[in-house]
Amino acid sequence: MKDSVLRETFRYTRRNRSAMFGLFLICFFIFIAVAAPLIAPHNPLVQNLKNNLQPGFWADKKTNFLGTDNFGRDILSRIIYGARISLTVGFIAVIIGVLLGMTAGVVAGFLGGWVDNVIMRIVDIMFSLPSILLAIVMVAILGRGLDKAMIAIGITYAPQIARIVRSQTIVVGNNEFIEAARAIGTPSLRIMVVHVLPNVLSILIVYGTLSIGSAILDAAALGFLGLGAQPPTPEWGAMLADGIHSITGGYWWVETFPGIAILLTVLGFNLLGDGLRDATDPRLRKKV
Amino acid sequence: MKKTLVFALLLALSVGFFAGCKPVAKQPVTLVFAKGDAVELDPADVTDGESITVMNNIFEGLVRYKAGSTEVEPCLATTWDTSSDGLVWTFHLRQGVKFQDGTPFNADAVVFSFERQRDPNHPFHQYGKWEYWGWCFSEIAKTEKIDDSTVKITLSQPFAPFLSTMAMFTMDIVSPTNCNQWKDQWMTHPVGTGPFGFVEWVKGDHVTLEKNPNYWGTQPKIDKLIFRVIDDPSSRYLALQKGEVQGMEFPNPDDLPKITQDSNLTLLSEPGLNVGYLAMNMGSDTPGFQKPFADVRVRQAISYAINKKDIVNQLYKGTATLAVNPIPPTLWGYNDAVQDYEYNPTKAKELLKAAGYPNGFKTNLWAMPVSRPYMFDPKAIATAIQADLKQVGIEAEIVTYDWSTYLQKTEAGEHAMCLLGWTADYADPDDFLYVLLDPDAAKVGSAGNVAFYRNSKVHDLNKEAQMTTDFNKRVELYKQVQQIVHDDAPWVPLAYAKQTLVFAKNVKGFVLYPTGDYHFDSVYFETSK
Repeated sequence: MKDSVLRETFRYTRRNRSAMFGLFLICFFIFIAVAAPLIAPHNPLVQNLKNNLQPGFWADKKTNFLGTDNFGRDILSRIIYGARISLTVGFIAVIIGVLLGMTAGVVAGFLGGWVDNVIMRIVDIMFSLPSILLAIVMVAILGRGLDKAMIAIGITYAPQIARIVRSQTIVVGNNEFIEAARAIGTPSLRIMVVHVLPNVLSILIVYGTLSIGSAILDAAALGFLGLGAQPPTPEWGAMLADGIHSITGGYWWVETFPGIAILLTVLGFNLLGDGLRDATDPRLRKKV
Repeated sequence: MKKTLVFALLLALSVGFFAGCKPVAKQPVTLVFAKGDAVELDPADVTDGESITVMNNIFEGLVRYKAGSTEVEPCLATTWDTSSDGLVWTFHLRQGVKFQDGTPFNADAVVFSFERQRDPNHPFHQYGKWEYWGWCFSEIAKTEKIDDSTVKITLSQPFAPFLSTMAMFTMDIVSPTNCNQWKDQWMTHPVGTGPFGFVEWVKGDHVTLEKNPNYWGTQPKIDKLIFRVIDDPSSRYLALQKGEVQGMEFPNPDDLPKITQDSNLTLLSEPGLNVGYLAMNMGSDTPGFQKPFADVRVRQAISYAINKKDIVNQLYKGTATLAVNPIPPTLWGYNDAVQDYEYNPTKAKELLKAAGYPNGFKTNLWAMPVSRPYMFDPKAIATAIQADLKQVGIEAEIVTYDWSTYLQKTEAGEHAMCLLGWTADYADPDDFLYVLLDPDAAKVGSAGNVAFYRNSKVHDLNKEAQMTTDFNKRVELYKQVQQIVHDDAPWVPLAYAKQTLVFAKNVKGFVLYPTGDYHFDSVYFETSK
């Protein structure tokens, strides 16, 4: 049963052109990230101060295609290696969020009663704080660094996922096959893992995909504020922060290219996520 | 009804129109200067450059620096004598000077201004922290009135830089009547004898000063002086381009090529009395101490490993000169015989190997979170140093905190290496070599000496120089200190930053002071021909 739902979803998504464009963007950046050492023209960390803030291809400079930054590091190579960091952060943060949110949501939705009440009130409290603010507070507690930023972002994503999973669990929980499982004496934990979980998976995939985009954006924001990736890590948000003094001086390329990289990746995940959501929603499906 | 209204409006408009045609009364000449905001407005209690700039235009001390130099000249005191042992200083005050609120300036005001800082039982002592008094004036035993126009200051021990320190903002004379009126609110209602009087301070927006019509010296040429708060250097530059302000401080080095090309702007730049440096924590009693830094070979290796020349040229972008000694060459006593550690990674590796760290080690490098006059972009400098150190195997993690925490934590020695800098308050090597490198200044928790460098020889030389009045002898002593510091390498001196200001083309007469003070009384607008 679960296979057919997923397969159906993908079949509908394939017809959605913008979703496919999103998928292409994601694949493109994944390829760049995986093949970074092979395709990056320079070492992203090696500085050459004498060669700093040089323009790139538009000024007929062949060695540094997208120019160099304040420290004479090759911007193209930094963006390529930055894809590794941004994608990893996006995926891991969302996995953390999904694991936490899913557990909380399934338990709350399936058990109900006071457990549900306690979990959902905690979720409500977390909802009352803006997510980026929550992430900043977490980083302040955990300390700076990319790993901590990932955890912080993951935690801020958990409440939304918990809410969605809970409502889906309640819907699934009212089905007859759950009642049947209960009637033959299956333990609650087994029902949750074997019967409920597969049925909320599709919505998790959709929501997870959408979240990766915002997780990348949040990681970049933390990096920009100096709370995420620490120098000299070529993280896109940190690259933006490094170049901030260079804009008024006319060195536009230092800011522009990392910005475009963030834009395209987030766009990719959002387009694909939107497409998946449309595909899982039967009312929207007919219009495609 | 409607018609009458329209008519009335038309009438009002036409009156306004013709009013514009009348020869207008002379507009007040206003200069708007963009800078960061002041912290408070009591000259004896402020410690930051932004506040000091405002203080310099409202207040005056007994003596002052000659325009554009570090030479002391009379100000509110016309002459002074000193006893043969250098312990008693008698100042003869200028007659007929009045504060901006009309209070006559006399010996009582001087005694009030100094004693409120020194004497814990003084009724006004409770209204301030008086930090500079503790740092620079602890040798003053008391200030006494002899008659209305004579003041006697007694020192507990001879202090050669005394007269120089008297020109500092901390020793500015405040109006006692005004202090009595405002009590603890006085910090925001300053009254002095200077060329400009205080009008208003809207926190985070602007400070307005007005010409003091009763000023005893040459009248300022502008009527109004507004310090507008614009924190970001690039926004300041945009405001200057748009004509919203007529002057600004510390432009972004990246904007400099554009500024020099702009024919509507004048760039003023001069070496200042400052130094930006990297300090290595040698204090084994500090929480941030790491064993390698106790070894002079490691410290020298780091000195060889950092490519200072590229950092100064490419990151300071011509707004600084390469630093060799802890004191800048613009200050007397500079030792030009000291040979700087050249950039030589191979030699650095050899030294590390000899010290027992052939593969380098892991450490941390602290960087200020804010732009300072001696270091425009500390994070960029730290990143560059990090890459240089990696070349010789040293892995340095960059650490940063907000500015006040940063100062606290470095004063407590929680760092292994940190970036910091210093702008002199008085033109004497004592203000660098004693304040920043003497064992006396290496107290964990309130250290000015953040390298926690404790060399008793340096201490003896510093103390001797403080007590000696013979100028040539002092030069000799300070030269020795610089050589010892160079050999011990507690610091990597990075750069002597130039102070840079940008003005609109028609603003003339601004004089740069080596101490970084801004005085606007000589500034005027050149009228176009």
